[in-house]
Amino acid sequence: MEEFSITKKSSGEIEVLNLEGFLDAHTSVELEKELETLLAAGKFKIIVNFKKLTYISSAGLGVFMAYIENTRNNNGDIKLCEMSEKIFNIFDMLGFPILFEIYNEEGTALEKFSNN
Amino acid sequence: MSDNEKILIASSTKNLSKVRKFVEESAEHSGLDQATVNQIVLSVDEACTNIIKHAHKYNETNTIEIEIEAGYNQFKITFNYKSGNTFDPNEAQNPDMVEYFKNYKVGGLGIPIMKKFMSKIIAQHKNPDVNSLILIKSIDKPSSLPSGTKLFRGTILFR
Repeated sequence: MEEFSITKKSSGEIEVLNLEGFLDAHTSVELEKELETLLAAGKFKIIVNFKKLTYISSAGLGVFMAYIENTRNNNGDIKLCEMSEKIFNIFDMLGFPILFEIYNEEGTALEKFSNN
Repeated sequence: MSDNEKILIASSTKNLSKVRKFVEESAEHSGLDQATVNQIVLSVDEACTNIIKHAHKYNETNTIEIEIEAGYNQFKITFNYKSGNTFDPNEAQNPDMVEYFKNYKVGGLGIPIMKKFMSKIIAQHKNPDVNSLILIKSIDKPSSLPSGTKLFRGTILFR
């Protein structure tokens, strides 16, 4: 079984990344590459779906910090959604909801982009 | 039940999953609740990552020995590693998270996580260049094991 995988889908100008497995200092490199590819292609409206992610360490959190400013400077954002309670607790403990929009449903995140 | 009390890994992030599995199984066997197990596993991941990154500079020829002692009142994890570059998490100040987010900082969150979730952190420097980092989780609810019980024996080497 793969430790970590990403599947992508597009919804208009919005890119949705579905994360699965374990996001740590080893696997976070894959997510960095994926986000770099999207930003290089001018895709700045990104939703990350955590539904199938079972584990995250600070290395994983760091990936979102590394790219959020670039997306927002280009009228985009990285919106996060469908986290398990275990994953959300890590984000929440460190105060990430101060900076990041986190939604229970992917559909809500999509609507927020549409409304902006 | 596994019969290992310690593992020896090459100092590489590719071995983090093995370390997490080793610690998770041990913590679960010792009767800790799932939330506490999760806190210990994440803290161990952060500690191991710091050693790989800062002490060993991603040089995979180095090794890290991880030993677990599951006792009546505490769950103790010891990392033994050779390096001239030691670090003591107790000396690092937690970042001001409002400033952290305001300035879009990256990194530096592993130690705050360890401090939040573990009861005590001890860094020991032994000559000439042997270091130990010890994470201790105090256990409020007595486990079913008698005092001083060690769960595992043996050594596994992951390369």
